[in-house]
Amino acid sequence: MIGNDIVDLAQAEKDSNWKRAGYLEKLFTTEEQFLISSDIHQECMVWLLWTMKESAYKISSGRSKLREFAPVKLSCNNLIIYDNTATGNVTYNDQLYFTRSTIEKTYIHTIAAMSQEELDLIKIDIIETKDHQIRINNPNCVSHHGNYLALVYS
Amino acid sequence: MHVLSLKSIPTNMSNEELIAKLKPIVANYAQDKEALEKIGPDTDFIKDLKINSANLVDVVLDVEEEFDIVIDNQSMEQMLNVQASIDIIESKLAAK
Repeated sequence: MIGNDIVDLAQAEKDSNWKRAGYLEKLFTTEEQFLISSDIHQECMVWLLWTMKESAYKISSGRSKLREFAPVKLSCNNLIIYDNTATGNVTYNDQLYFTRSTIEKTYIHTIAAMSQEELDLIKIDIIETKDHQIRINNPNCVSHHGNYLALVYS
Repeated sequence: MHVLSLKSIPTNMSNEELIAKLKPIVANYAQDKEALEKIGPDTDFIKDLKINSANLVDVVLDVEEEFDIVIDNQSMEQMLNVQASIDIIESKLAAK
């Protein structure tokens, strides 16, 4: 199974005040909060880590059908950022997930899989549209936010 | 010293009263306004109200402020629908 999550940065800026008291503490581990506070692009780091968590959670909730809002239990590790891509891991309920992210000026998109091999095979379609119902060729996972629709295929 | 909270809320509020207090909070983030009008114990924040998952934390923070309670992470895990949220609010109010 694969997962993905996209954040439209303009939409996020409109909808979420991540500087609100208590906000980061409820979403991120101490280590993640440190990554955010020490980054020159703090907002970018917030949404990068968030898409990592969401994309891993989508795999987990798809497999177990169990739902919970436990963002701090999804722990981002081994984050490496190079140019506009990032790779990392997320651990959640003793399961390891592999992630790869694309950081653009207007959006951040992350894909997740349960193995590096599976991650490397993922194909990504990112479409700029407000129509979130569009589907092409049976995507394995769909994410939409603001002006963006992301379809991923294993 | 005993300090009276200006926002003190009676602990014996009914389910309906709690839903009425919860509704304006979730209304700030609900994208499905029709589902919002029909809000009830079974209403799911994400599936029914279409609240963005990044805004769930705003719901939790707003609930903390409105009811003057602290919601720990373990309680927050369950706050995906109206009834679960009300159960948590009631238990936190009772523990005050």
